[in-house]
Amino acid sequence: MEHKGFSICDMIPLLNQLPSHVANAIVVIVFLLIVAQLGTRGLRKDPKKYFIPEAKLTFRTAGEMIVEGVLKIVKDNMGPRGPEFMMIIGTLALFIFVSNVLGLIPGFHSPTETLNTTGACAITVFFLTHYYGFREHGIKYLKHFTGPVIWLAPLMVPIELIGHFVRPVSLSVRLFGNIFGDHYICAIVFGLVPFLVPLPMMLLGIFVAIVQTLVFILLSMAYFSGAIEEIEHEG
Amino acid sequence: MIEQIAYYSTLGLEMGLAVAVGVGIGYYLDKWLGTRPWFLIIFLFFGIVAGFRSLYRALKRMERENRGG
Repeated sequence: MEHKGFSICDMIPLLNQLPSHVANAIVVIVFLLIVAQLGTRGLRKDPKKYFIPEAKLTFRTAGEMIVEGVLKIVKDNMGPRGPEFMMIIGTLALFIFVSNVLGLIPGFHSPTETLNTTGACAITVFFLTHYYGFREHGIKYLKHFTGPVIWLAPLMVPIELIGHFVRPVSLSVRLFGNIFGDHYICAIVFGLVPFLVPLPMMLLGIFVAIVQTLVFILLSMAYFSGAIEEIEHEG
Repeated sequence: MIEQIAYYSTLGLEMGLAVAVGVGIGYYLDKWLGTRPWFLIIFLFFGIVAGFRSLYRALKRMERENRGG
């Protein structure tokens, strides 16, 4: 039952040349850029406006609310050093959340429902983790892998290596599996009974979109803070 | 609350995948070195231990959260 679904991206020239998930990722990126541009419009010309909050609900106040929410999560999970990682965490959170929600709009597909997009995000997190680790500790970062005492190292290194290689796999497969599975079950239920019955599935879709975004950024933060923290081997 | 659901729902997949990744590493090492089945067995156990290690890490996090309030 493999057939090409309807997609708005197929109607736009240039975008219809690309694979579906790339085209939809470009839609997500353009959407985020437009919102960011609308939110910061006029701020660069008049720096005084930075300190004066706006009275009504505008793109700027909405954006500030979102950024403050993410910043609060980051600070809660990573402590005082959290804001250093706000850039990557916030970018991932916004991209993944908008991607997940995009799939709920008829005519679009989630970029995150293929393993390619989620794998790209997860591998970015994987390499950044070790980059931050080496930047923080230098060559001593390797001690994170060797365990408490040096003669246990031959035992600990493979275990730690497996633990580290599982991270990108589990991050990408989890996000991909949840989003893909949700859309698939939605499509099947739509095929069976297209009236009112798919509604709980769509509600579940919104829940899954939020929870999976949270999972991704929570785990990324756990990995980053694990890389930068001092080694404490307590057994 | 929703953060905790999100975090602890990740444990099952991580434990399973740790075993899978361990077996994968062992399988390809064996294929490369021609020592079937020794690396497969060794890395299977490493994978199981790595799975339990991630469980242990989550337990530590839960302890810290409970102490924090």
